[in-house]
Amino acid sequence: MANILVVEDDKDLNNAYCIILENQGYTVESAFDGQEALDKLKDFEPNLILLDLLMPIMGGLEFLQHFDLKAHPAVKVLIFTNMENSPEVAEAYKLGAHRCIIKSWTAPHNLAKVINEALEADSPVKA
Amino acid sequence: MADQKKSLTIQHAQEQRAQAEALFSSIGEGAIATDEFGKITRINPIALATLGYSEKELLGEWFPKKILALTDRNVPVNLIDRPITKAFLTGKSVTEKMFYRRKNGDTLPVIITVSPILLENRPIGAIEVFRDITFEEEVDRMKSEFISLASHQLRTPLSAIKTYSHMLVDGYMGEVTPAQKKSLRTIITASNRMNELISTLLNITRIESGTINIVPKVLKGERVCEEVIKELALAANEKEITVSLKHRGRISSTIKTDSLILKEIITNLITNAIKYTSEGGAIRVEVQGRARDVLFSVHDNGWGIPEHSHDQVFSKFFRAQNTVKRETTGTGLGLYLVKGLLERLNGKIWFESTEGKGTSFYFTLPKERKTKPLTKAPPKKAVKM
Repeated sequence: MANILVVEDDKDLNNAYCIILENQGYTVESAFDGQEALDKLKDFEPNLILLDLLMPIMGGLEFLQHFDLKAHPAVKVLIFTNMENSPEVAEAYKLGAHRCIIKSWTAPHNLAKVINEALEADSPVKA
Repeated sequence: MADQKKSLTIQHAQEQRAQAEALFSSIGEGAIATDEFGKITRINPIALATLGYSEKELLGEWFPKKILALTDRNVPVNLIDRPITKAFLTGKSVTEKMFYRRKNGDTLPVIITVSPILLENRPIGAIEVFRDITFEEEVDRMKSEFISLASHQLRTPLSAIKTYSHMLVDGYMGEVTPAQKKSLRTIITASNRMNELISTLLNITRIESGTINIVPKVLKGERVCEEVIKELALAANEKEITVSLKHRGRISSTIKTDSLILKEIITNLITNAIKYTSEGGAIRVEVQGRARDVLFSVHDNGWGIPEHSHDQVFSKFFRAQNTVKRETTGTGLGLYLVKGLLERLNGKIWFESTEGKGTSFYFTLPKERKTKPLTKAPPKKAVKM
């Protein structure tokens, strides 16, 4: 089963996503800002990162600038935000995000579905 | 005797001139007078201060050349499109928003009104009054930014409410009784409504600030209606209202437009029809492809809109008196939003309604979209799941 890193500053939501994803059988690690996520990535290799955009210390976009997705073709990033149609969302796509989803519209069963779809979508280039 | 009369006339004319001059210089906005050729004959202190010129530099100059007007894309406005030209050509007063370039090269947003001075229906000059709206624009920008941020902040706790309610219903925290499930569903429905309200507010802000993104795609009008009807089936079923869809005529309803915005428009109209129709009612949605446009219509046999309110239907916060007591969930923003969205898609909307009998809303969308091009490529959107 895949590894997932949840990066979300809201403790309640972070906790909820961890419960839902663990329930689906994923191995989940959580971080509460971009910096903590970068630290976690030193010894955790996720297949997918669920990433919030607006966070203290280091936001999602800054995280994506540090964690170069081109250098990690096997990792998919799903942006989970409440900013609809904002320039930040467009920027996240530019930085290589797989998909952006509006948090407050998403029911847990849909979260699991979106993650499954993302993990199954166009596998990374084979060596 | 004749001399005395002549001198009185001269004195009268001088008085009139002095009065006009005093009036001109005391206007609280920039004012420029020109002759029939557009040469500046008079300019008030506020206009001088706003544009950064001295009176000597402007008097006698050809106004359209001396004061450069720019569009919102920083391109000079053609002579034919300058309000002063339009006022001379039409003989009518013209009001427009554009940008003026100051002497020091800065540009400033202005609202301009030009009125021709007519003598026996022939323009002998024009008076232009203009106002620097930099401050208003800034306030507007701040307002939009505030609403955007506030909407985002409101959504954060809402996400937690929704996620945890769903988790409870789905049994993540153990078994729940049917009664508890019912309460939880009420919480979910309420949080969805709150979410919709936030989306509406966000969309309105975007329309008002002109930052809405349009991504045109080729689609079938009928298909979009079908999707919306499916999504609203639950709400219609609750009131035992039937919603039917019909394609009229033989011409296809294929159109190139923004599917999300079109969906938002149709959703709003059908939601309204469901809200303002009694149980057991019927709603008909019709799509008709025509030579140049596609006509959509939503007909209900609901409560109708009282005739005295017909001209306010598309106003912000309008709610018809006969509905306020019966249906409490309306915000008075839906139709205002629909109209704004349709304007951006170059569409038109109108309605017919009889109180106690029902309402029909009609809107058209042109087959070829000719809205103002975006200055940059539209960014990708986040999606609702």
